[in-house]
Amino acid sequence: MHNINNNNQIPQNDTLVPGTSVSSGTNASVGAVMVVGGGIGGIQASLDLVEMGYRVYLVDSGPSIGGVMGQLDKTFPTNDCSMCILSPKLVEVGSSENIELFTLSDVVGVEGEEGDFTVELRVRPRFVDPEKCTGCGICTEQCRVKVKDPYDADLKRTPLIRVPFPQAVPGVAFIDPTRCLYLLKGKCGECKEVCLADAVDFEQKERTDTLRVGSIVMAPGYRPFDARIKAEYGYGVYDNVVTSLEFERILAANGPTGGHVLRRSDGGPVRKLAFIQCVGSRDTSVGNSYCSSVCCMYATKQSLIAREHQRDIEPSIFFIDMRSYGKGFEEYYRKASREQGVRYVRCLASYAKELRPSGNILIGYTDEDGNAVEEEFDLVVLSVGIEPDAAGLAGVLGVALGEHGFVATDEFLTVKTSRPGVYACGVVEGPKDIPDTVVQASASADMASAGLGAARGELIVHVEHPPEREVVGEEPRIGAVICRCGTNIGGVVDVPAVVEYARTLPNVVFADERLYACSQDTQEWIRDIVREHGLNRLMVASCTPRTHQPLFRDTMRSAGLNKYLFEMANIREHCSWVHMNLPDEATGKSKHLVKMAVGKAALLEPLQEGVSPVTPRALVIGGGGAGMTAALRLGDAGFTTYLVEKELELGGNMRHIFRTVEGGDVGAYLEELVGKVSSHGNIELFLDSTVDVVDGYVGKFHTTLSTPGGPVEVDHGVVVVATGGVEYEPKEGEYFFGRDERVITQAELERRIHQDPGSLAGVRDVVMIQCVGSRNDENPYCSKICCTVAVKNALALKRLNPDAGVHICYRDVRTYGFAEDRYLEARERGVGFIRFDEDEPPEVKHSFGDLLLKVADRNVRGEEVSLGCDLVVLSTGVAANPDAAELGPKLKVPLSADGFFLEAHVKLRPVDFATDGVFVAGLAHYPKTIGESLTQACAAAARAESVLCKENVVTEGVVAWVDEEVCSGCRQCVRLCSYEAIDFDEERGVAVVNSALCKGCGACTAACTSGANTLLGFKQDQIYAQIEAACNPL
Amino acid sequence: MAIKDRARDIIGKEVDGVLAFRPEGGSHVPHLFNADDIDQMAGEYPAGERYPVSSIVRRLQAARPGVRLAVVVRGCDERALIELEKQGQVDMEHLVLLGLACDGELAGTCGCAQPYPSEVVQGEKVEGGLDLGMVEKLEGLPPGERLDYWLSRFAACVKCFGCRNVCPLCYCKECALDEPGLVDHGEQPPLLPVFHLIRAVDMAGRCVDCGLCEEACPIGIPLRTLYRKVGEVVESHFEYRPGRSPDKKSPLSVLGTEEDVT
Amino acid sequence: MSRKPENNNGKDEVKILAFLCNWCSYAGADLAGVSRLQYPPNVVDIRVMCSGTISPYHVLKAFQMGIDGVLIAGCHIGDCHYIKGNYMTYKRFQVIRDVLEFIGIGEDRLRLEWVSAAEGEKFAEVIREFTGQVEQAGASPLRTRWEENPANRERIRKAFKPLLP
Repeated sequence: MHNINNNNQIPQNDTLVPGTSVSSGTNASVGAVMVVGGGIGGIQASLDLVEMGYRVYLVDSGPSIGGVMGQLDKTFPTNDCSMCILSPKLVEVGSSENIELFTLSDVVGVEGEEGDFTVELRVRPRFVDPEKCTGCGICTEQCRVKVKDPYDADLKRTPLIRVPFPQAVPGVAFIDPTRCLYLLKGKCGECKEVCLADAVDFEQKERTDTLRVGSIVMAPGYRPFDARIKAEYGYGVYDNVVTSLEFERILAANGPTGGHVLRRSDGGPVRKLAFIQCVGSRDTSVGNSYCSSVCCMYATKQSLIAREHQRDIEPSIFFIDMRSYGKGFEEYYRKASREQGVRYVRCLASYAKELRPSGNILIGYTDEDGNAVEEEFDLVVLSVGIEPDAAGLAGVLGVALGEHGFVATDEFLTVKTSRPGVYACGVVEGPKDIPDTVVQASASADMASAGLGAARGELIVHVEHPPEREVVGEEPRIGAVICRCGTNIGGVVDVPAVVEYARTLPNVVFADERLYACSQDTQEWIRDIVREHGLNRLMVASCTPRTHQPLFRDTMRSAGLNKYLFEMANIREHCSWVHMNLPDEATGKSKHLVKMAVGKAALLEPLQEGVSPVTPRALVIGGGGAGMTAALRLGDAGFTTYLVEKELELGGNMRHIFRTVEGGDVGAYLEELVGKVSSHGNIELFLDSTVDVVDGYVGKFHTTLSTPGGPVEVDHGVVVVATGGVEYEPKEGEYFFGRDERVITQAELERRIHQDPGSLAGVRDVVMIQCVGSRNDENPYCSKICCTVAVKNALALKRLNPDAGVHICYRDVRTYGFAEDRYLEARERGVGFIRFDEDEPPEVKHSFGDLLLKVADRNVRGEEVSLGCDLVVLSTGVAANPDAAELGPKLKVPLSADGFFLEAHVKLRPVDFATDGVFVAGLAHYPKTIGESLTQACAAAARAESVLCKENVVTEGVVAWVDEEVCSGCRQCVRLCSYEAIDFDEERGVAVVNSALCKGCGACTAACTSGANTLLGFKQDQIYAQIEAACNPL
Repeated sequence: MAIKDRARDIIGKEVDGVLAFRPEGGSHVPHLFNADDIDQMAGEYPAGERYPVSSIVRRLQAARPGVRLAVVVRGCDERALIELEKQGQVDMEHLVLLGLACDGELAGTCGCAQPYPSEVVQGEKVEGGLDLGMVEKLEGLPPGERLDYWLSRFAACVKCFGCRNVCPLCYCKECALDEPGLVDHGEQPPLLPVFHLIRAVDMAGRCVDCGLCEEACPIGIPLRTLYRKVGEVVESHFEYRPGRSPDKKSPLSVLGTEEDVT
Repeated sequence: MSRKPENNNGKDEVKILAFLCNWCSYAGADLAGVSRLQYPPNVVDIRVMCSGTISPYHVLKAFQMGIDGVLIAGCHIGDCHYIKGNYMTYKRFQVIRDVLEFIGIGEDRLRLEWVSAAEGEKFAEVIREFTGQVEQAGASPLRTRWEENPANRERIRKAFKPLLP
């Protein structure tokens, strides 16, 4: 039942019909994409591709999807619970008809080319039939051989036969064959004996599957650096030295210590906790010169979470440069260091030693004053870096690797590999965090589908159900099905007694028990009892609706009933499993839960999923690199796109950038981009124009543009916001800016290097000052790119004049990822790096007409350095576009405190807004590199396309609904909606819910004292019925 | 200047009508005056005669949108109007307030926090002071006795709905007190204590402490004590005082920011 | 309606109603189950999409029907699947809790907890702790509607008498 995506599980009286295709074409591309790797990147790419009309084969080498994110406790910088935000996506993948999962599978061969690949998969045996296994876990209890559990970073032991982790998808067991007594010696086999579903199958053999796909997305993730290589820290020798991934599991509430921060040596408490940064990163001695990009932030997060668990923990982080460069990161770091008791020690930790008999760890390091210090800790966490794990897959797929062994990708579109038709997202392409991975995932979905437009929808199946029987006006006739779940429920709860009890409840006309309510034959049986007994409501008492409601709702539909006429009682997770030693009480509680569910079921109404037509056109606001890229992607996909630019020419900030840090020719790329956009048949360009009024909602926007020729009205289904950012303008006189022409910005320096190198001929001494207008009280955020830009321009100056003296005054060098190589190169080429404190910034002075810079260099114990300079270059940050403040309210989307647009979820929805149908890309979202901007634009295009490619926006049946007769127009619900889904109709003086935007949370309904506003499916009378049933005796 | 003089000045010019009191049978009743009958307007406003004028304004404006009215308001009436405006129920732009300060005696017995409106046309401002005496007294009792106290008071309820009907902030077209899933129909006395607590929780962020409910109650249930407690709860947690925090909306009617909830 | 079984050390057997949000707390309760964490069977739960949809009426109704304790559990602040739904939960909870205390039902009978999908252990612990707390407070004084109890009715009539004209 878990594999409801499998075709042969679709009920037999239903038929499969192919979806409709929006664009037409004749080339023979295949409407399916293979996604290799089931971490968050692969999951997002798969979900996007299905939304865009392509079938997906999702391949994972492990027994479940979920990846590293599924092992994390929390995510920075919001401290979101990782599993809380991931598991809905896992369920979505698991229940999609159009994602076919291949677990324990590896790609072993690829033939063909872009548009039509033939992929050979090696599928290892699971030894459990996923069709039969219900994930009940009885086999796991029987298994006597225990091995280290990789889900818990090997910190705990687990039986060989098991569901990999509670939220795993597929949620079925597998056998780890390495030590299985039956598989090795033919002994034991107890799991097979106890399995009531007859799912254990020792005869399974490895098989090879061949699949045809149009393109391939690589998302295999990474492997953590093997900390044993850094022998000086003693990992693998000292018990109380752990890796960051191990520590993540220690922090996790569902981890080996139940979220208690305990030492590995003796299980004792931890007070003094140390993190050693850059273990396996920025370290040429282990061959990894690059920066792993995420460790500074996760160490900060783990420090905070450890302190949340236990207030007296004192975390110290030993670091080189604090690289909190992403959205919200600097604020997170500032708060951690200033208010939340995290100590940051700038140094390179030299060694760790174990003390006997305490098991404490002594860390040796050189402090900022040059003193050799030793300090004792209870537990030491090594912040291990990210290493590529791509060579094998890259070899099979025939894509090139870069210098560091990660997949080489295009500088401008960072998901494009060397082989057409093969794309890469996530850490396989270079170290990055979750949001950047998700952006790349959507972007790779965009690119992977680009050539397949002709085959869009061809392989998508949707299930055709029999017509729904009209039940309104009928007396409720409820069928009650009580599940034994093998012995999981039946072993504790007296199931026959619950069935008997259910028969006595009002409106119940049929009740019976089943061994497994979720099995295939039960679905057939349910269709039979619905017919035989004329049921019009169904109540299943079994397990959690979070995973199983979709299955039963499907069965309702196939039985000709509205799927919302179904209710569940969770008598397993919430009863038999948590009251295992109290059979009487568990039976009583089960009756109560059944009574509550039946009480609600009697009042359930059929709900209709709303349908609202889509105008298949897009509006892109902003004609810079991101806006043009988004427009081009959408135009290429066949959608008319209105591109609005307020300036007279296209290009935005990209016009002022000449080379990327890796030397890419930005001007040439821009010229090509402008050329394509300007001549594109599907792109309608509005220069010197702005957005005036925006009406409507997802699928159906109506916008008035203000253009030189007067107002123009356009209809469109989506909006992409790509309004860019602006350069922070130094204050008048800040470092003599504006008063001395020798003080310029990085942008001006870059212009002179590339357009007017003559003007730099006499320049011998250049000093750059970082963080001008960033990381201060006025602008607390880090502008992310300035360090990399400074290094890039310093190198360019050195190339123009190798004898030039170039110094960079910085606070932390934030050349994250591969840009670290350029930082190294700059140091090798003699660029000087001087570190200053925030409260002791450099001083620029005039001395007899010369410019003089004075600064206390923290790298040499605060010694004052004086530098005469011909040029002072200010690394001014990226500031939010002031236009955003005006545009945000028009689009009903929010801004962050910094003035950048605020996405729906910083971790998992980095290009979406909470308001459906509106997307963001580029600097409008946050400072970023050109490659990151343009990739985000592709991601926004993919998300937009998933709306535009459908004829209709289909909305959930569980939405709020306002009875206009009762509404008094107080507008509370309008204000309480996070999704701008409730409008106030001034004429009639009532609130109106737009079900296309409503997410069905019900926050509005609780505020409505008149009861005018109700959440369908959770109506007040239904909840009151549940409360009554819960409170009254049986 | 007296209210009546001001009313004469503006009637027919700034406003189309004046909502004030007309003497009738030894007492006063609310009346909407026009230029023709403005002379019959009462000049004095006895302490014992209070009406939910804000509710009348709400109905008048609903019947004739855009009508320009003047209305005689005490502090509580103004607070109610301010709160009603936030909830989209009255239109203050087309409303002239003729402020009436409560006299010392009324202010003393009433015990509201501000017995005068923001602009006083008639009467001497007397500083009030929220009377939480009864609230504190009850808080001093053991919980069981507190419950007995309330149950005994609620038990006398004759379900006349006077508290709701007179309340300036009760404008719902359908009322939770009539919701069969919540309160059994036809029970006398009503389900206790849910019946009275429904109103109590609904008063959070709304009640302007006018006290009309308690005045209207034929058997003297100390409703004002209950709602004053609710007011104190809202003020202590959210720094919000209905009718006296004109620039803010009730915290229970806006999502707010993370600081509000941590 | 007898609720004093002998095997409960003479303590009242209490009943608790838990409102759980679908995305975090219901999932946390699921995880407690998957992890076989044992907790007292006194609690039954109602799943709602967001804790922000729980209105004070629901809580009042439960107490009116004689429940001894009500637990509201939602996502941690910042984790809400619906962005800010739990802000409203938090605000409404404060009001209703203080009203319950003032009326004499007792604030210790209502509890708000943030439980994430990964906090199975926390969910079990919350149930254990809260059950203990409610047992300490005993059966709700509103457990039976007062008018069904003639003695109580008389007592309340008497207490009311001095106020009659």
